[in-house]
Amino acid sequence: MKYIAKKIPEGINVTSRHPLLNFAYLLGTVIAISVFIFIVLGFVAEWLVIRVSPETEIQMGDMLVQPALDEEITDDKRIQYIEKLLNSLLTPGETTRLPLQVHLIDSDVINAAITVGGHVLVHTALLETVKSENELALVLAHELGHFQAHDPLKSLGRSLVFMAVSTVLGVGMSESGGLPKIIPLTSELTNLNYSRIQERAADIYGFYRVVSHYGHGGYSLDFFERLSKGEGRLQKVSQYFLTHPLSQDRMNDLNAEAAKQGWKMEEELTPLPQWLHCPDMKQCEEPVKE
Amino acid sequence: MDALVQILFFFVLLILGYFSGRYFEKLHYKSILERENRTLNIPIVNFGAKQSFTNAQEAALFVGSVVISIDYFKMISAALRNLVGGRVTVYESLLDRGRREALLRMKEDAIKWGANQILNVRLETATIGGRSGNNSGPGSIEVIAYGTGVK
Repeated sequence: MKYIAKKIPEGINVTSRHPLLNFAYLLGTVIAISVFIFIVLGFVAEWLVIRVSPETEIQMGDMLVQPALDEEITDDKRIQYIEKLLNSLLTPGETTRLPLQVHLIDSDVINAAITVGGHVLVHTALLETVKSENELALVLAHELGHFQAHDPLKSLGRSLVFMAVSTVLGVGMSESGGLPKIIPLTSELTNLNYSRIQERAADIYGFYRVVSHYGHGGYSLDFFERLSKGEGRLQKVSQYFLTHPLSQDRMNDLNAEAAKQGWKMEEELTPLPQWLHCPDMKQCEEPVKE
Repeated sequence: MDALVQILFFFVLLILGYFSGRYFEKLHYKSILERENRTLNIPIVNFGAKQSFTNAQEAALFVGSVVISIDYFKMISAALRNLVGGRVTVYESLLDRGRREALLRMKEDAIKWGANQILNVRLETATIGGRSGNNSGPGSIEVIAYGTGVK
């Protein structure tokens, strides 16, 4: 048999498909499927999580709130003041499914939050920044609105789903060493995030409670107005308010709601207790304001 | 912030992997085609075991082996493919290059020795890194081609 040298044909074992096209197709499919699973499981988690018994919610809350309580101030008259204000905001006959616990946190980050189990976290910086009781009441009532709507629980449920989905994806990925850290990180970003709809509902709820408590909505929006205007000055505003700034739109919404309901917006200001910025409300120096 | 840095890092690696991977692959294919054409006159065949060579005076074993690493882009593409299923087309060119390079190395060595044909050629592959250990680093493939050169 005589050997005749022939040119080797090309492309037998290599699919001629552009790698970028292939990548785009894969990424698109994986993202679409995970988003779909995430949304469906998210709704399932929300549905399940609001059926958690109060006892379980207390246990979950105690566990989850612990890391936030490192700088907690206990035995301070301000706590009683906040508790009283918070409970006075509930309309007659309205109850919370769990007793609310106020925690005063020594922090120079302006923040207030409510977590699973009815733990209300109020930072001292918030007390130093508010200028009237009306402002403070709106912040507290907004948080109360989140609690009454089960928002912290729903958010927790969604985070758990996100973690579960990302773990499954992570297992699929890590087998060939791909995308190891990206997905768990994105779940961190969703921590305690509420949707726009939830925020708006909490706004309306809070505003309604403030109006029914004081008889008017005047001065309550001032705090958010100052926050949105003075971003440069209030550098240490917490991430929470930065990611959810009460933008002009939302203030307009509330003003429109007031007009619709015929609520008065210009009335007397309810002053804060004089030494609210001081430990135990004993007379002290004015906090330094830049 | 941390998350942002990580995501940015990921995309930089991805883009770097894509462009460097494409560049080196193109370069490699160019070299493979050129050398294949140059060595076309020496036949390599995979029969010859347990047969007598009437026209062979001398025989020797020749081994060509090559290790090629995947790039970050290929790794991520394949990882995504793992979730979906189907043909991992990004690895096809990698293995193709490996096989042809290994055969060429074996062939070139045999030609240097003076072979007029290479018989009983076999190919084997192995993976290095990647799947073993902590599962994080990109893997490599090794392709070994061996055969009996005669003259």
